[in-house]
Amino acid sequence: MFLGKVIGEVWATRKVRDLEGKRLLVVERLKMDPSEAEVTPVIAADPLGADVDEYVVVAFGKAARVAFGGDGDFAFEAAIVGIVDGGQVPSKDWFETYKREKEG
Amino acid sequence: MYLATVIGQVWATRKEPTLSGLRLLVVQPFKRNHPDEASTMVAVDTIGADVGERVLVVMGRSARHAIGKGHDIGFQCAIVGVVDGAEIDGKRIGQTAADDGAQ
Repeated sequence: MFLGKVIGEVWATRKVRDLEGKRLLVVERLKMDPSEAEVTPVIAADPLGADVDEYVVVAFGKAARVAFGGDGDFAFEAAIVGIVDGGQVPSKDWFETYKREKEG
Repeated sequence: MYLATVIGQVWATRKEPTLSGLRLLVVQPFKRNHPDEASTMVAVDTIGADVGERVLVVMGRSARHAIGKGHDIGFQCAIVGVVDGAEIDGKRIGQTAADDGAQ
């Protein structure tokens, strides 16, 4: 599970049945240290309706599948399970910036 | 699940028996700022993707489920969709690199 920021959305027509009707968002894991190497963004299914630029909690594996109702097998392994309203991260200013942006 | 580009195909005659009949493609995951730095992966193609196309790749149990031969299969990476388009950082990503920026 990680904290990330929604940076985009993906559309696909040719896909496995399990992905039909699922909104797919591009999420980049939040870096606590800006000098960390770039990570590959994750494509997460979104049952909650998150928007671009929002911070979200992304679950992987069984937790992601449970977020879509039941522990069945689905052909995806990442899902947005929370849209962040607030939080506190030691010695980092990213959340303050986020709050300022949200509050205008 | 990751966004990736199909960059090639691999063939193997001597392989784990559960892999027989599977089409194996080489994919490179998408990176925002350093597109050429991502290391490549080999993924089973469940959907009929072509070289150059952007695809959705899953790992682990989800991949084995998508491959659909039961869960006891010696592979853990699968292509589950061909991307029509994406918008990342407000920029349009096409089905192939040649389509980038097109509306």
